[in-house]
Amino acid sequence: MSSKLAILWVAAALALSAQEAPLDNSVKINLPADSPLTLISTNLGESHVTQRGSAVVLDLDVSLTLHNSSPNRVRGVTLLVAAQEATPGGKASVSVPSLDVAPSQNFPVRINLRLLRPAQMGSGALVQVNLDGVLFQDYSFYGPNRLDSRRTMTAWEMEAQRDRKYFKSILAARGVEGLKQAMLESLNRQAERPRLDVQVSRGRAVASAAAGDHNARFAFLRFPGEPVEPVDGWAEIAGNEARNPRIDVHNLSTRQVRSVEIDWIVSDRQGKQYMAGSVPASGPEFNLKAGSTSRVLQDTALRISKDGGTPLAISGMTGFVGQVEFADGKVWIPDREELANARLLGVLDPSPEEQRLMDLYRKKGPKALADELNKF
Amino acid sequence: MTHPNQSILALYAGQDLGWFTRRRTEHHLSRCRECRGEVQAFASARDNLAALENLPAISWKPLSAEMKANIRLGLAAGECVRGARTPSLLASFVQFSNARAFAACASVMTLVAVGLFLQRPTPSAPAMAASQGSILRATASGIELNQGGETLSLLHVRTGDVTYSAGAQGSMRAGYVDSDTGNVTINNLYVQ
Repeated sequence: MSSKLAILWVAAALALSAQEAPLDNSVKINLPADSPLTLISTNLGESHVTQRGSAVVLDLDVSLTLHNSSPNRVRGVTLLVAAQEATPGGKASVSVPSLDVAPSQNFPVRINLRLLRPAQMGSGALVQVNLDGVLFQDYSFYGPNRLDSRRTMTAWEMEAQRDRKYFKSILAARGVEGLKQAMLESLNRQAERPRLDVQVSRGRAVASAAAGDHNARFAFLRFPGEPVEPVDGWAEIAGNEARNPRIDVHNLSTRQVRSVEIDWIVSDRQGKQYMAGSVPASGPEFNLKAGSTSRVLQDTALRISKDGGTPLAISGMTGFVGQVEFADGKVWIPDREELANARLLGVLDPSPEEQRLMDLYRKKGPKALADELNKF
Repeated sequence: MTHPNQSILALYAGQDLGWFTRRRTEHHLSRCRECRGEVQAFASARDNLAALENLPAISWKPLSAEMKANIRLGLAAGECVRGARTPSLLASFVQFSNARAFAACASVMTLVAVGLFLQRPTPSAPAMAASQGSILRATASGIELNQGGETLSLLHVRTGDVTYSAGAQGSMRAGYVDSDTGNVTINNLYVQ
């Protein structure tokens, strides 16, 4: 009997420490008064807050319905999700690129978020959702752009146009059968693409050098017509950790450049290449006037592993210019043909639009894909 | 140099040390690469346990009802058996079981009190973040920012293929096609 009593006590204690609570004012959606998007509905689905001992877990499953109240077609939206009280140095965003929302149309945006934080924090909204930017068909932009979402969404839209143009040219030249073949090639490429687990650390002692650490130099791929060329670059390597990348870039164009993103590929001892990430540079401290040279640098550490946790011994690094944004907001990205010639398509992530088209092909077949391409 | 023992490093990795010991361990870690490696290994082992969080939630109400029913059944069975015992034996048994029940209740209450003490409120996020740094990573269900014990995750729940990419400025991105809407969704986490 005493053991049953003990179980009852422990069960009661655990039940007290894991209580679900209503959401109340845990989530706040803020759209500016002059926003081109209006909020039609907010569905919190199975969202809930759970008290676990001295911590609170918020599981948020929000489905927003937004309305395009502007006269332009919407191509992309970025929402800034802030839980500043719990993660003061961290931010989150949810972007939906590759849209084609006509004026007066509604469209959904989903946010699935989990927040774990101490229970004794303030009583305000746990999560605030704000509009960071809206990109329109003519590349005009609305929003505070706190997350540099104008550049990101413009690049995605340019990639979308580039990839649609590629698949449309195949459709025009070889018909639906040719399109099907091209899609199968894309799907195979993605299935075979080597993937890594990358962990990003900041704020730790990422600059400490120790025995076995060494500086490794980047090898650079160059594309014809690129407005910025990488000149020299290196990073500290210690086993499977790459730290503090520094890359010198030269502006070949006649225009001022606002930001540059260098894509970063690492290779293992067998020479197999993997996409590790990107090294972006932007902001007021990065000033790349026409004909000048500047440095892209980040104080961070990437810890790289593969196959579910096996550390990847980094034996080589390759970089190339993946994106350039000029002072007037225009963006340059590499051609698809140049990426194919450099054998990068099998290493890089597909663009969001290629991802969408592959999904459409997989679910609805080549005819539906051809119809979709013909809409643009 | 005297190194902290393994249990101290393990507790540090789990942010379970008291304030004074944590500060002392931090001071040592700032000078000892070997122990930093140990802490990283413990932290990685903890991460692997994160998958266990996906176990289905226990429904306490039916469990409690079942336990109460079992206790009632046990008491009823005890009543049936009691009739067959001699009075003197019964009296000593009751005395003995009361003592046992009292000891068990006292133990459980002590356990609960210790548990509540150990689950006392944790230090505020900014203080922890400053000492622990920030880590962004991809998990089985999404991408996660861990800052001094507080975590913020963006999950992808209605999808098959997900592409992840890391930004050296301190960002992690997961892109997927939402199977309900057919729209590409790109989740981003940033750390400053």
